[in-house]
Amino acid sequence: MKKLTKALAVLSMFGGAMFGTQTLAEPFKIGICYDLSKAYTFATPQVSQAAMDLAKLINMKGGIGGEPVEVIVRDHGNEPQRGIECYSKLSREGVFVFDTLSTPVSLAILPRAMEDERILMQSLVGRGDAVDGTVFEWVYPVGPTYWGQAANDVAYIKQLHDGDLSDVKVGFVYFDYPFGQEPIEILETLSEKEGFELELYPVPLPGSDQAGVWSKVRRDKPDHVIVWMLGGAHVVASKEMQRNRIPMDKYISVNWLNEVDIANIGKEAAKGIKRGTNVVGGQDIALYQEIMAELYDKGEGSGPIEKTQDVFYNTGLAMYSIMFEAARRAAEQEGLPITAESYKAGLESLEGYDANGLMAPITVTAEDHGGGGKTRIEMWDGETWVPQTDWISEYTDVVWDVVKESSSKYEQ
Amino acid sequence: MFYGLSGVHHANYVSDSRIFKVPADRNLAAFIFLIGIAAPFIIPSLYLNSYMLPWLIWTAAALGLNLVTGWAGQLHLGYAAVMAVGAYSAIHAARFGVPWEFALIIGGLTSSVIGSLFAFAALRVKGLYLALTTLAMQFVMDWVLTHSPAISGGSHASLQSPTLALLGQEITTDTGFYYVAFGWCVLVTIFMLNLKRTGLGRALVAVREKDFAAAILGVNSFYYKILAFATSSFIAGVSGALLVATFFFLAAPEQFSVNVSIQVLAMVIVGGLGSIIGSYFGVALILLVPGIVNGLVVTLSDGLGMQINVETLAHIPNAVYGALIVIVLLIEPLGLGKLYGNIRDYLMVWPFDQFKK
Repeated sequence: MKKLTKALAVLSMFGGAMFGTQTLAEPFKIGICYDLSKAYTFATPQVSQAAMDLAKLINMKGGIGGEPVEVIVRDHGNEPQRGIECYSKLSREGVFVFDTLSTPVSLAILPRAMEDERILMQSLVGRGDAVDGTVFEWVYPVGPTYWGQAANDVAYIKQLHDGDLSDVKVGFVYFDYPFGQEPIEILETLSEKEGFELELYPVPLPGSDQAGVWSKVRRDKPDHVIVWMLGGAHVVASKEMQRNRIPMDKYISVNWLNEVDIANIGKEAAKGIKRGTNVVGGQDIALYQEIMAELYDKGEGSGPIEKTQDVFYNTGLAMYSIMFEAARRAAEQEGLPITAESYKAGLESLEGYDANGLMAPITVTAEDHGGGGKTRIEMWDGETWVPQTDWISEYTDVVWDVVKESSSKYEQ
Repeated sequence: MFYGLSGVHHANYVSDSRIFKVPADRNLAAFIFLIGIAAPFIIPSLYLNSYMLPWLIWTAAALGLNLVTGWAGQLHLGYAAVMAVGAYSAIHAARFGVPWEFALIIGGLTSSVIGSLFAFAALRVKGLYLALTTLAMQFVMDWVLTHSPAISGGSHASLQSPTLALLGQEITTDTGFYYVAFGWCVLVTIFMLNLKRTGLGRALVAVREKDFAAAILGVNSFYYKILAFATSSFIAGVSGALLVATFFFLAAPEQFSVNVSIQVLAMVIVGGLGSIIGSYFGVALILLVPGIVNGLVVTLSDGLGMQINVETLAHIPNAVYGALIVIVLLIEPLGLGKLYGNIRDYLMVWPFDQFKK
């Protein structure tokens, strides 16, 4: 047996020398374990397409530090068990940066990533307290947490009312499970602090029946409605709002509202609808134009062009710009090959990075893995998204209190 | 030829009620058991960790559901909720400082108590009505979990499990986790094998076939229904706790949601109601095949150099997987366990019965 392994080792060395595999650089890989077939399909195709396009563009320009980059896209069907399988498989192939874009799978992988010291990116999904870098060393939810987003929504409402929220009523319509319940704590704290009245309207899953909720909203007459729902539920909500004659401009959605939803509501009917976002909507973006010119105009895009005309495509570009920029910095700072440690340092050296005007500037530090959590409010004017605020990140002390309180419960 | 039936006679009751009536079956079981023990040394860690381990734990859980659905004939659509009860109570107990051995038992017992509540519904309604009642209970559990941070653990409802330690030994390696899962699965399997040949097992079957006929024969169907629910819930509870302790390391409500309940039921049905080996096959098909087919399709499309859209690539395995389930049930409506039984019957006295025809 020993002889055999020795022989094999010698053989592989020869083989390596002959075909030059030893000298060929290993590409920097990102493991994209996404749910491409079940619950998250409203966003994953656009985001993964953005990731692949961006990787192609970077390789055309010579890669990172002269090495090519590679994104490996796999489906896990939103099943934690298959997510773990994807993670275990890819990590044995040398991948140390992962993204899941699924809360259940992100939760399932998190303990392993922490144990194995691999980077788990989890922008916009997973547990929000993971922005606390002192506890979650290997987890990077770069982008806003739902807590931060909700706080910024309140800050926007405060701007609208000239800084006085004492006689303002805010409604919160949310999916009645962890995703939707998350902002409640922060909204309640802010309601006490700012003196506005908060009304909660839970929507049972899957959100196809909201008749009771919106007639209650009509009776209560809140000045603004912050909405934590996804996909088709926005369309149902807009119908119920029209039925109850609630003007559209009261609607402030979480970032999960895209052009498909707008089209389903109707471009005209959706006029005035608002959403919080950490990326610039629309196609008037330098990086987007470059991808169009270099890839899609030459017929080399990674998917249909319609999918790129979607804010979730921009979201994907933002997420992966951050990941590749971190790799670039890691290569610059500590050279090749990039390791999990040097990549971590690369991420934590990002300062005011906005991918050339694509998104809210982020500054990742060893303490704050969220990058500052800046968002802005945009309004749909019937044709495009019009920004209503600058990139803001308000009430950070309140948000961090909640983060710290929650993260302290991990590892008890 | 394969089974060596020659000279195997069962002349008395004890001999006839053995677990393995044919020595060849016993040898096969022993062989598989040995492979199970040797698995960490012969199976690459990736497969051990992400296929074998969940497979064994889910098999133990499916066997528990098979007890109540396959043996006692009570349709149960809230099994994942019962697993959740066990998982959460065991983890809370362990976090509180209770040793894991007791925490697991506490998990099992809590599940038993809550699971027996389902039985009270079973005493009044049957068939589809029972399925709906248990489904409703699943939703109640889901609601309780997502609405009580004290149980579900606060942020995004995830509860970290403390390091598993059994008999004073901290378990942290893949091999260790595997042996825990293997041990539990073997334990449940032995229990189920023996159940078949006890009065309890026969009483359950009598209740399944016609509960009032069983009552006329003196079988207290009230008692046996509750017993079936309680026992299967105990298995569910411990399996749920072990699933979190050895595989997920963290409990979240999505791991025990309604679609998981349906999945376990599918495992039992595809495997074959009342079949033990069938549960092993059923779990393999429902739990592992999607991942394996996914891997195969990806390798195939890479190998052939095809440029397939990632979305299409994700949906092809789903179609293949769905087709597989339909094909299995078309070929043998009684499930994979029966399919195995057919092959076994065919080979039983091979080639001699072929001569007859």
